Amino acid sequence: MDNMTDSLLETYLFETNSLLEQLDELLINAEKAGEFTSDDVNEIFRSMHTIKGSSAMLEFQPLMEVAHHIEDLFFFIRENGTSSLTEEQKSELFNLMFKSTDRLRADVEKVENNEPLSMNIDSFVNEINSFLNELRAKDSDDAAAAPSETAQTGSIAEPPQNLPDMDAPFIVHVFFEEDCGMENLRSFMLITALKDAGLEFSFIPEDVETNSDTSEIIAEQGFYLAFKSDKEAESAVKILNTTSNIRSYEVIERPCSSQKEEAPVKEQKVSSDEGTAAPAPAAKQPTAAGHAKQSLISVNLSKLDQLMAIVGEIVITESMVTASPELQNVKLDSFLKSARQLRKLTDDLQDIAMSLRMVSVSGVFQKMNRIVRDMKKTLNKDVRLTIVGEDTEVDKTIVDSIGDPIMHIVRNAMDHGIEEDVQDRIAAGKPPQGEIKLSARHTGSEVIITVEDDGQGMDTDAILAKAARNGILVKPEEEYSRKEILSLLMLPGFSTNQEVTEYSGRGVGLDVVKKNVEAIGGTVTITSEKGQGSCTTLKIPLTLAIVDGMEISIGKNVFTIPIANIRQSFKAEQKDIILDAAGHEMIKCMDEFFPIVRIHNLFNMTEGYSDIEDGILIWVEASDKSYCMFVDQLLGEQQVVVKPLPSYLNNFNIKHSGISGCTILGDGNISIILDVASVYTAAQEMF
Amino acid sequence: MPDSMIHDETTEDILGSETTERFLTFMSDGLIFGVSTENVIEIITNYMIRPLPMVPDYIRGIINLRGQVLPVMDIRLRMNKPFREYTSTTCIIILEINSTLIGIVVDSVLQVQDIDIAGASPIPIENRQELTNAMISLDDGTVVLLLDCDAVLRI
Repeated sequence: MDNMTDSLLETYLFETNSLLEQLDELLINAEKAGEFTSDDVNEIFRSMHTIKGSSAMLEFQPLMEVAHHIEDLFFFIRENGTSSLTEEQKSELFNLMFKSTDRLRADVEKVENNEPLSMNIDSFVNEINSFLNELRAKDSDDAAAAPSETAQTGSIAEPPQNLPDMDAPFIVHVFFEEDCGMENLRSFMLITALKDAGLEFSFIPEDVETNSDTSEIIAEQGFYLAFKSDKEAESAVKILNTTSNIRSYEVIERPCSSQKEEAPVKEQKVSSDEGTAAPAPAAKQPTAAGHAKQSLISVNLSKLDQLMAIVGEIVITESMVTASPELQNVKLDSFLKSARQLRKLTDDLQDIAMSLRMVSVSGVFQKMNRIVRDMKKTLNKDVRLTIVGEDTEVDKTIVDSIGDPIMHIVRNAMDHGIEEDVQDRIAAGKPPQGEIKLSARHTGSEVIITVEDDGQGMDTDAILAKAARNGILVKPEEEYSRKEILSLLMLPGFSTNQEVTEYSGRGVGLDVVKKNVEAIGGTVTITSEKGQGSCTTLKIPLTLAIVDGMEISIGKNVFTIPIANIRQSFKAEQKDIILDAAGHEMIKCMDEFFPIVRIHNLFNMTEGYSDIEDGILIWVEASDKSYCMFVDQLLGEQQVVVKPLPSYLNNFNIKHSGISGCTILGDGNISIILDVASVYTAAQEMF
Repeated sequence: MPDSMIHDETTEDILGSETTERFLTFMSDGLIFGVSTENVIEIITNYMIRPLPMVPDYIRGIINLRGQVLPVMDIRLRMNKPFREYTSTTCIIILEINSTLIGIVVDSVLQVQDIDIAGASPIPIENRQELTNAMISLDDGTVVLLLDCDAVLRI
């Protein structure tokens, strides 16, 4: 049972989160257009209905209530259209909707983290209700004027909120699914089905069978069925429930048909056909949203990880088989042929398995739309966000961890990059509207994400002065190059802003961005021209699972260093080695001095060369650290599948000793993958 | 786990007594230890252990068990006993403790037997042995120390 609830919950979270994401995107686009299209309204209505239904099923009361009230609001809007709203009401509606999606998202997050939901939703619900009442009040004013008109025309083109002129106490108002087409024929089929069931009723429009123009009318206003008794209406409802393509229906009871000006008692119902229970319409919803969604299935990430692990195993085992020492020096033509074919197939398999984990960055990028929108309002700056290359795909784990860094950079650009005063921009000859450009592109094994703004740029003097104040300078001020000054921004301890704005400058700064990006193997660089704007570039490896590595040996132990970190390897002579004041070894290459880290000393290994002339030096670089590693031998280059070390070993703080993971070599032995940056930190701590 | 070397073929037999459990007994430094078969995944021999830097000496390193990377702990060193070179009888017992997999190096593996834990008694305080929580004397006079699996993972 628990398992059942778990999987239900998982589905619920997935579904609700994706609905909320779609909703956010829709709201942003709608706000840009300044108008909800009828598709938008229907979409919101449907999403809220689904959220309401599934929340109710899992007994998340506050979520259900909020969704329910928004649904009510949009039911009203759907019936009346947004054209009657004033500009203020529209912007109020947008704000309210953004607030609601935030609220729902926060609640869903709580559910995700197993936190109790706050039951205090009254004030929020009141906000929605008062807005709805405001709309209603306005509408009833209009409606008071309307009836005389409708009475005159008396046609079927009357506004949908007024019931058609039908002489029956029970009216069933049926809506077909959008875009299902041929509404007139569907209505006619419905009529036939109801007649077959022996029911007596009248319907509007009456000429569905012969007049194909009615299809549009039905699509817009629905199809009315009028019954003499509630029993008949009930049995009709039963038939409706089994009919496909019906989006919703409502049973309207009129105490007296002559008093049609009076507000009818509405018993609103939406067919169970739509929403939570039935998978078919739920699956259809994304298509209706107008997104280019293809036939997708969602797979648990852990299954993909398992698949990746097995594929990694196959790749390793394949090379174990084909490079087996027993086969050396034996002439096996047909074996070699099949081995080559096997290698090709395993390579293909690996490529496909890797591509499964690739997702586009559009999700992360779209979220920035929302941030720019919100900040635009609060900071009162006119900024447009341009997104380039949002289809760029990266590994799922990377997408998850670049969201926060990008958000931080975009906020910085909004807050500090773009000029406070529009006049400043105009004076500098720039268009009054600021621009933030978010782009992603591939280069070989990396994805490059840039955030550019055309704002005021960074003031290097001010940065240097602030760095000096915070005491993070390590050499005299005048020796700092422009590039170095900009990299000061990313040092911990730089961003200790006294002034905390809502969005950026809360004491955690770009150093956190840098740390997060480096955690996934990437680098951050900042360039900026004063008066021209700034550009932050993130370089991130496409995937973490497979790395091009250089195998090195120390004694009998094999280590792997990511090739991306290696600049050069060379033999050194004793006379090249210079000792610094503390007795640390250094070597000069390319006119610069680099410290030497002897891996076997660092790791207290008994084996390994100690004479610098026997072994080999590898000049490595990771972000701002550049040094030489002393090892015994280079064994060769190999693509390796990165495996994390067993979690039990984290108890020994192994991550800080320069080991980032391990990999299994072709012969079944384990090689340890060194993390170039943390090897250096560990070495510094030791000496 | 597939191909586990210990199969509960006689599960029905041991249900006779509620307090009877199956134990795998092994030798380490002349003492007989018992570990519940619930925790034992498999026993392996002759594995290449990859040493790790910067860890306590009782962590011998990591092994590649059919693609899974597992830590290996020498139970002698863990109990502050002298190190003994590994021989052909040296085994690694793969244990699953609270869903963590870990291998322990023991001098030799003895057998799987049913032990009535109702007869277990606490170990006298002066003879306390690390990583154990009870001792039992069997009918044939041997004394088995029961391994406290949770203590194995404690640092």
